[in-house]
Amino acid sequence: MTALLAAVPALQPPSSSDLVGLLPELILGGAFVALLMLDLVVPATKRTWLAGFSAVAILATMGSVLWAWNDAEHPRTVYYGSFAYDRFSLFIDGILLGSALLVVLISPQYLNRRGIHYGEYYSLILAATTGMMLLSGASSLMVIFLAVELLSIALYILSGFSRMEEGSQESALKYLLLGGFASAFLLYGMALIYGETGHTQLEQIAHAVANNSLQSNPIDPLLITGAVLMLIGFAFKVSAAPFHWWTPDVYQGAPTSVTTFMSVTTKVASFAALIRVFSYTLPGLYPQWSHLVFSVAILSMVVGNLAALSQNSVKRMLAYSGIAQAGYMLIGLAVNPATDGGAGTVAVLYYLAAYALTNLGAFAVITIMAGRGEDLDRYSSIRGLAFRRPWIAAAMGLLLLSLAGFPPTAGFFGKFLVFSSAIANGQTPLALWGIGTSAISVFYYLRVGVLMYTKPEAGDERYEWSRTTVSGGAVIAATTIGTLVFGVFVTVLYTIAVSAQHGLIPG
Amino acid sequence: MSTSVSWLSIVLFLPLAGAVALQLIPGKARVLIQGWTVAITLATSVIVGLLVLGFNNAAAGGGPLNMRYAENHEWIPAIGASYHVGMDGLAAWMLALNAGVFLLGAIVVSRRETERLRLFCGLLLVTETATAGVILAVDMLMFYVFWEAMLIPLYFLLSNFGEKNRGKATLKFVIYTVAGSLLMLVAIIYLKVHSPTNTFDLEAMLQNPGPAEGAVPFFGGHLLTPQQFAFIAFAAAFAIKLPLVPFHTWLPDLYESCPPAALMFFAGVVSKLGAFGFIRYAITLFPHEAHDYQGVMLTLAVISILYGALMALSETDIKRIVAYSSISHLGFVALGIFSLNSAGINGAIIQMVNHGIIIAGLFLVLGIIEQRTGTRDRHELAGLEKRMPYLYFFFLVITLAGLGMPGMNSFVGEFTIMLGAFQTYWLLAVLAGGGVILACWYMLRLHQGLMHEPLQPRAEQVRDIGVRDGWVLLPLVALMIGLGVYPHPVSDMTRTTAEHYVTLLSPIPVPVQIIQGDVK
Repeated sequence: MTALLAAVPALQPPSSSDLVGLLPELILGGAFVALLMLDLVVPATKRTWLAGFSAVAILATMGSVLWAWNDAEHPRTVYYGSFAYDRFSLFIDGILLGSALLVVLISPQYLNRRGIHYGEYYSLILAATTGMMLLSGASSLMVIFLAVELLSIALYILSGFSRMEEGSQESALKYLLLGGFASAFLLYGMALIYGETGHTQLEQIAHAVANNSLQSNPIDPLLITGAVLMLIGFAFKVSAAPFHWWTPDVYQGAPTSVTTFMSVTTKVASFAALIRVFSYTLPGLYPQWSHLVFSVAILSMVVGNLAALSQNSVKRMLAYSGIAQAGYMLIGLAVNPATDGGAGTVAVLYYLAAYALTNLGAFAVITIMAGRGEDLDRYSSIRGLAFRRPWIAAAMGLLLLSLAGFPPTAGFFGKFLVFSSAIANGQTPLALWGIGTSAISVFYYLRVGVLMYTKPEAGDERYEWSRTTVSGGAVIAATTIGTLVFGVFVTVLYTIAVSAQHGLIPG
Repeated sequence: MSTSVSWLSIVLFLPLAGAVALQLIPGKARVLIQGWTVAITLATSVIVGLLVLGFNNAAAGGGPLNMRYAENHEWIPAIGASYHVGMDGLAAWMLALNAGVFLLGAIVVSRRETERLRLFCGLLLVTETATAGVILAVDMLMFYVFWEAMLIPLYFLLSNFGEKNRGKATLKFVIYTVAGSLLMLVAIIYLKVHSPTNTFDLEAMLQNPGPAEGAVPFFGGHLLTPQQFAFIAFAAAFAIKLPLVPFHTWLPDLYESCPPAALMFFAGVVSKLGAFGFIRYAITLFPHEAHDYQGVMLTLAVISILYGALMALSETDIKRIVAYSSISHLGFVALGIFSLNSAGINGAIIQMVNHGIIIAGLFLVLGIIEQRTGTRDRHELAGLEKRMPYLYFFFLVITLAGLGMPGMNSFVGEFTIMLGAFQTYWLLAVLAGGGVILACWYMLRLHQGLMHEPLQPRAEQVRDIGVRDGWVLLPLVALMIGLGVYPHPVSDMTRTTAEHYVTLLSPIPVPVQIIQGDVK
C-alpha cells in the first residue's frame, strides 16, 4: 500500500507557466461559474445585464488572447504536454470568441421575443465556448475528449432551450443521441491509437508513429482503424456527409440564436482538432487517411449543395450549405501536409475565419428578423424583405454572395486559397469538384436574394418582422463590413493565418 | 500628363468613391443625386479622354503588352497577387467606351422617374468601377476579382429595378456567368502555380511562358493537355459573356427584363468584356491552342451571326429583336478575333467600340418609344414618324449604322473583320456575309414598321423627344457618322495594337501586314 502511494507523485499546484498557458480558458471558465451565481441575484426583467456581463467576460478573454499571441511566439505545451500553447490555438480562439460575442449581442432581443430569456443561456454559451477553446489547443487524446464533451453537453441543452416547442425538443434529442454516437466513435478511435502507441499525448504519438511503428510495420491496421474512427467522430461534429444527418433537423429545431452559434463555432473548433491530429500528428499516415478525407469532402460538397437546392426554409438551406462548406474546408485538409508547406492549413484557417463571419451574419439576419413566438425563416416569409428593410436585405444579399464565393468578399478568398492549395499540390480533381458544386450553390443562395427583392403581392401575409435593435444592426454591420474588408485587404488576415500555422505544435 | 499621378487608379476608384459619397446625400434630394452622379461620370470621362489623347506620348512600359500609365503595387505578396493596372491600345478604347456609356447612362437615368434614385445611381457607379477594373487589370487575380465582382452591382440593379421575370432572368445570367468564370479560376490558379515566376502577373506570364505542353500531369491528362484545358476554360468564360451561340440563352431574357437606363451600359460595355477577354487573355496566353481551335471558334462565331440574325427576324418584341441582333453583331467580333491576323483583330477592336455606341443608342431610342407608347410589340407600333420627327431622324441614323451601311462606323469594323476572315477561311467569311444581308432585313423592317405605315392607336398621343434626349443622342449619332467617315484616329491606334497582339500570337514575329483597317 505504501509502495503504491509512493509511486503516485505528490500533487503539486500547477506552475505559473501552466496557468499562463491556460489563461484565456481560465478567464472564460471563471466567468461561466460567476454567471451561474449572478443569475440567482439578477431579477428576471434585467436579464439583459447577464448578456452584458458575458460580453465583458468575452472581451476580457479576447484581451488575454491578444496578449498571449505575443507571448506564444515560441510555442510550448503546458500541463505535461496535454495542452498546446501556440498561435494556432489562439487564432482559433479569436474566431470562437468573436463569434460568441456577436451571438451574445443578438441574443437578448431574440430570446425575449420568443419568451425564453433565461440566465442559463449565457452560462451555457460561455461553457460551450470554453470547451471549444480547450479543443483548439488540446494536445492529448484525453483533453480532446473532455473538451468535445464539454462543448457538446452545453450545446445539447442549448438546442433544447425552447423547451415548450416540439421542434426544439426533437432537435435536442436528435443531437444528443447522434452526438453520443459520434463521441463513442471518437473514444474508440482514441483507445485504439493509445493501444498501439502507448501514449495519449499527441507529441509522443507523433514521435512513436514517425519512428517505430511505421518502420517495423508499414501499415498498422489498428492504428489506421483508430485514425479512421477518430476521423468519423470529427466528421460528425463538422457535419460532413455522410455523417451529416442530424444537421438540418437540429439546426432548424434549435432556437435561431443557438443555431447561429453552433453552426459556426462547432465547425471551427472541430477543424482545429482535425488539423492538429491528422495533418500534424499523423502526417505519416497521410496516404491512408487522405482517401477518406478525399471522399468525405466530395460527398459533402455534392450532398450539401444538391440538398440545399430543394429547401424552402432559410435555416435548413444554411444547414445544408454548412455541410457543403465543410466539404470545401476538407479540401484543405486533404492536401498532403508533408509537401505543401502548410498551404492547406493556412487555407483552412482563412476559410474558417471567413465562414465564421459570413455564416454568422446570415444566421444573425434570421435571428433578428424573428417574429413573436416563431422564426420567420421560410422562403415565403422573407419575400419582399427588401421593400421594408432595405439595409438588412442588402446585407443579407452580400453575405449570401460571400457564402457563394463571389469576390471581393472573404468567402471568395477562402475558396480561392483552398482551391489553389489543392491545385498546387496535385489535387486538381478535388478543386474541380469544388468548382462544379460552387456553381450549383450560386443558385440556392441567390434564390433567397431574389426572393427578398420580389415585390410582395396584395394577398400576401404581412409578417411581423422584428424591429432591428442597435446591437442587432451592429452585428449585421460588423459581419458585412468584415466580409468585405477580408475580401479586399487579404494580406492582414492571411499573414496572421500563416503565423498561426507556423506556430502549430506538434509539427 | 505627368506619370507621377496615379491616373488609372483615379479612373478606377473615382466612381466607387462617388458611390460611397452619394450615400451621404439625402435620398429626397433627387436633383443633387442626379447632378453628383453625372459629375462623377463626367469627371471620369474627361480624365479617360485626356489619357487616351496622351496615349501615344506616354512612356511605354516595355513589357510584352507595352502598357502605358502602368502602376504596380503589392496586394497579396504571399500568394503572388499584385495591384497592377495598365493601359494598352485595346484598353484605351474599351475604357473610353466604358466612361462614355456610363456618362450617358447617368444622364439618362436622371431623366427617368426612377424610384429609389440614390440606390440606382450608387449601383451604376459601382458597376463602372468594376468594369473599368476588368479593363485595366494586368494581374490575373485582380482581373478575376473585378470580373466576378461586376456581377454584384448588376445583380442588385436587376433585382431592384428589373421588369417582369427579372428574378428568373437574373438567376440565369448569374449562374451562366459564374459557371464559366469558376472554370477560368481553376485555369488561372493552374497557370500561376506552374509559371516560373509564380505570380498572377499577366506580363510576367507572357514573358516567361509556362512549362512545355503536357509537361505537368494534370487531371489524368488523358483527354486534354493542361494548356488545352486552360484555353477551353478561358474561352468558356468569355464565350458565355460575349455571348456565342450556344451559350447565349441568358441574354434575350436578361435584356428584356433589364431596366432601360441600365441596359445602355449593360449592352454597351458588359458584353464587350467577353471579347476583350478573348483578345487580352485567351489568345495571347495560349497562341498554340488558339490556332488549334481556330476552326471551332470561327464556326461558333458564324453560327452566332446567322442564328442571331434569324432569331431577330422571328421576334416581335422590339427589345428582343435588338438583343438577338446584338448576338449576331458580337459574332462578327468573335469572327474577327479568331481570324488571328491583324486585320481581323483590328476590325474586332473597332467593332467592339462601334457596337457599344450603336447598341447604347438603339436601346435608348427603344426605351423612349416603349416609355411613351407603353408597348414593345412591333405589331402594335406604327407611324411614329408623324408624331416624333426628331426621334425618326436619330433612329434612322442608328438603324443605318446598325446594319453596316458604308459611311457609318459599323461598316468600317465589319469590313475589316471580313477582310481578316477571308484570309483564313473564306467560306466562313462568305457565310458571315449572309448575316450582313439579314441585318439589313431585320433592321430596316424594324425601322419601317415602327416609323412608317399608318398611325396605330397606340402612337396617337405620343410626344416627340425633348432637348435632353437630343443632347444624349446627338453625340452618339455624331460618333456613328464621324467614325464612319473619318476612322483614322481610332483605326491608327487599334491597328498598332492589333499588330502587337498578332506578334504575341506567333512564336516568330510576323511581318506587319499591309492591309489597313480603315476605309476612306
